Amino acid sequence: MDTVSVSIPASPAYIQVVRLIASGLASRLRFTIDEIEDLKIAVDELCAYLTGSQGRDGTLDLDFRIEGSLLEIRGVGNFVAGQKARTELTEFSRMILETVADSADLSQRDGTPTFTLVKSKQ
Amino acid sequence: MTLDKDEVRHVFFAYSAATDETERAKYREQLVQQYIGLVEFLARRFRNRGEPLEDLVQVGTIGLLKAIERFDLSREVEFSTYATPTVVGELKRHFRDKGWAVRVPRRLQELHLELTKIVGHLGQELGRSPTVAEIAEAAGTSEESVLEGLEIAQAYNFTSLDAPIDTEDGGSTSFADQLGEDDQHLEHLEYRASLAPEMARLPERERNILYLRFFKGLTQSEIADRLGISQMHVSRLLGRTLMKLREALED
Repeated sequence: MDTVSVSIPASPAYIQVVRLIASGLASRLRFTIDEIEDLKIAVDELCAYLTGSQGRDGTLDLDFRIEGSLLEIRGVGNFVAGQKARTELTEFSRMILETVADSADLSQRDGTPTFTLVKSKQ
Repeated sequence: MTLDKDEVRHVFFAYSAATDETERAKYREQLVQQYIGLVEFLARRFRNRGEPLEDLVQVGTIGLLKAIERFDLSREVEFSTYATPTVVGELKRHFRDKGWAVRVPRRLQELHLELTKIVGHLGQELGRSPTVAEIAEAAGTSEESVLEGLEIAQAYNFTSLDAPIDTEDGGSTSFADQLGEDDQHLEHLEYRASLAPEMARLPERERNILYLRFFKGLTQSEIADRLGISQMHVSRLLGRTLMKLREALED
């Protein structure tokens, strides 16, 4: 199992970088364009919860794990004290994520907001 | 103060003969006043592309100034005939260059346009969505460039629902014409009260794409085929729409 790790400022401006890494890795796994587009939507959706539309003070730390034809992305928001992110998916987000990902989860773990996203090649 | 034909000729002569910049500016101003109506007329043809008419008139006026500068009185051509392609050219260039919400290097714009075509063709050929490696091979470029090109899709501006789009047979139609009637019913969805007004505010095409992707389960490529637009355009519209809705929900 290979892992790629990256830490970005918790700002929406950097989500594009995350999308590019995700699509680069998905391309290595021979995902199709449609699968890559879906993955990018899922990444956008989950990262947006952690950064908020205005950004937060702190970092968003991501691990991309590749196993076989499966890509798992875990994102953790490490914010300065007092900065909080919503960790309950809206119905709408849940519906989007069900369509574009194999599984997606957002929760509070050890006091930090964390998401896990899994998508594999069909 | 509209001038008649002879008076216009006279001003053009005076303009080309004048050497003093203040004097030239005065004549130029007279000529612009004379033909500003033409610019407004031409600019109106571009008004459905999401830019204020006043801005378009300004862009068109630059074209008019160029035409005034280059007009050769010895040629037996009406100035308005001569100026029209220059003004239209300026407007078209404006949309080509400024159509990108974020400044994108020309190389990437071209790559993006090429990829849009290749993704469509390969999809038809393979009967499935192509991989990045397949696209890179067809385009004779690296996988990195393809990924970069796909990401660039997000930087391109919306075009209006009524903007003409080119069809295969060289004709033109608008998105509004292409949308079907039967699949517009997002009402089935019991969405949250906070989301409903935002959904309602979405342009019909965006709402339709959202519906086809998340309620009908069509892939982006399938939606692209159905609406007669590129998969990358679908990606762009979907990305923007979701972002809008997300922001609305956050408040």
